Amino acid sequence: MTDAMADNNLSPLTGYDRVIVPGANGPRELSRKQFEQLPLRERVGFLIAGTAQFYRMGAAVSATNAMKG
Amino acid sequence: MTAPMQTLDAAQAAADAIVERAEARYDAHRQEIFRATDRIFGWLMIGQWIFGIFLAVAVSPYAWEGKVKTIHAHVWIAVILGGLLSALPVYLARKHPGEVLTRHVIAVAQLLWSALLIHLTGGRIETHFHVFGSLAILTFYRDWPVVITGAAVTALNHFFLGVFWPESIYGIANPEWWRFLEHAGWVVFCISFMIIGTRRGQKDMRVMADRSAELEALSENAWRNSSVIDRMTAKAAGT
Repeated sequence: MTDAMADNNLSPLTGYDRVIVPGANGPRELSRKQFEQLPLRERVGFLIAGTAQFYRMGAAVSATNAMKG
Repeated sequence: MTAPMQTLDAAQAAADAIVERAEARYDAHRQEIFRATDRIFGWLMIGQWIFGIFLAVAVSPYAWEGKVKTIHAHVWIAVILGGLLSALPVYLARKHPGEVLTRHVIAVAQLLWSALLIHLTGGRIETHFHVFGSLAILTFYRDWPVVITGAAVTALNHFFLGVFWPESIYGIANPEWWRFLEHAGWVVFCISFMIIGTRRGQKDMRVMADRSAELEALSENAWRNSSVIDRMTAKAAGT
C-alpha cells in the first residue's frame, strides 16, 4: 500500500512522538528521540521498507506526514 | 535468487546509497563552511596588517635618539612581523582551503595578531577585546578544536609576555603574577559557551543531512510501492 493510499485512514497531523519498528524479538516501541538516535542506516531501512509505524498523540500518521514535523 | 530476496537486496543497496549520499552532503556542507571561513580570515589577515601599520604610524611613528628622529620600531614590527603573521594564513587560505592545518594555523595567527595589536597600542585593555572578537570569528568554522587552539595561544602569550615583557601585554611593568590567570579565566568562560555553540552548529548540520536522507528514503519507498514495481515483482516471481 502506498503512503498516499494509507493516508485515508491516518491522522492528518504532522510530526510524531512515538514510533513502532520491527525488531528481532518482535515490534519495538520507541520515542521520537530514541528513533532519531538509531543509526541513520537503520532508520532509512525502515522508511524504505515502510515498516515503521508513526503516531502522534495516539493517532497513527503516515510516514510522510511524520517526517514533515 | 528469488524475487523477494532480490527486492530485499535492492532495498538494502538503496539504503546504503542514501546513507552514503547523506554523508557526502554533510561532508560537502562542512567543507563549504571551512572554505568560506578560510576566505574570511584570508581577507581579515590582510585587513589587520594594514590596520596594524596604520596603528603603528598613528600611535608611535617616530623615535628619538638624542636629536635624531628615526622611524619607531613599532612601525617596523607592524610591517615586518605583521606581514609574516599574515603571510602563511593568507597563503594557506588561498592554496589549501578547507584543510585542518589551514584553520589551526589561522587560529594561531589570529590570536598572535591580537597580541601584536595589544603591543602596538601599549597594552591598552580595550585592545584585549580583539581576543574575544577573534575567538568569536573562529566559531564560524563550527569546529571546536580550532577555538581551543586560539584560546591556548592567547593563554601562552599572556603567560610568557606577562613574565618577560609585561608592558607589552598589560601596559604596566609590574602586574600581579596571577594577572594572566584572570585574563585566561575570562577566555575560558567565553570559549566554554563557544564550544557548546559550535557543537550545536555541527549537530544541526548532521540533522539536516539525516533529514534529507529520511526524505529520500520516503521517496524511495513510494517509488518501490508504485504499480510499476508491483508488476515487475509479479513478473519476476512468475518466471
